[in-house]
Amino acid sequence: MNVESRREGTSLVLKADGRVDGTNASEFQDAMKSEINESDRAVVLDLQDLTYISSAGLRVVLLIAKDLQRQGAKMAACSLSDPVREVFVISGFDKIIPIHDSQDSAIGALS
Amino acid sequence: MSARIDLKVETRHEELQRIFETVEKLAEEEDWPPALTFKTNLVLEEFGLNIMNYGFDEGIHTFDVSLTSSPDTITIEFVDDGRPFNPLEDASAPELDSAIQDRAIGGLGIHFVMEMTDDFQYRRENSRNHSTMVIRKSD
Repeated sequence: MNVESRREGTSLVLKADGRVDGTNASEFQDAMKSEINESDRAVVLDLQDLTYISSAGLRVVLLIAKDLQRQGAKMAACSLSDPVREVFVISGFDKIIPIHDSQDSAIGALS
Repeated sequence: MSARIDLKVETRHEELQRIFETVEKLAEEEDWPPALTFKTNLVLEEFGLNIMNYGFDEGIHTFDVSLTSSPDTITIEFVDDGRPFNPLEDASAPELDSAIQDRAIGGLGIHFVMEMTDDFQYRRENSRNHSTMVIRKSD
């Protein structure tokens, strides 16, 4: 698992790849948190290269979403593979984090 | 043709790695679609972690996991001598409709198992939980 970040306009784009499971979810949390600043107001989670996520990983996504909401920031996810999207849907996360087909569309929706 | 793999797993989270490697190897041998590998790993992780985290009071314990791949189905069986737990009756449904700030952290694992499997059976026998779940390969 690896998290890369870049800024596009006013959005912070976090791109996670590999696997997030019960063995590395806390590393995933640290990696995400270290990239987010308190001044960020729009965060896009690009999951195109995420091959696996379990409830341990979704728990981290929820914690980050809660942090962002507290600081008044919006969050969106994009480019989910079919199985990752299924996990988001059966956990109801698609109702609290908007899912977009592409990074451009997610950035556009947040700006 | 069917393949059966039996694992003895300790209640340590690092054991997940060995389970994943076992699944990846079988998936490669049988050329599973990625979605099936994902689902199988997810069911094994969520149910396995539930036993590791909640099945016992303290100390390291061992439980059995078997994985049987038949032409149409994957059958996963967990046998553990931890506290009785029938997911069909004892697991509380997670709140899936709450807003971000109200959404509880956790409680999704068993929900995932139930959603991802096509059949689930539980019995308590000789002070052991026998939890058997089936995933259909064509979905």
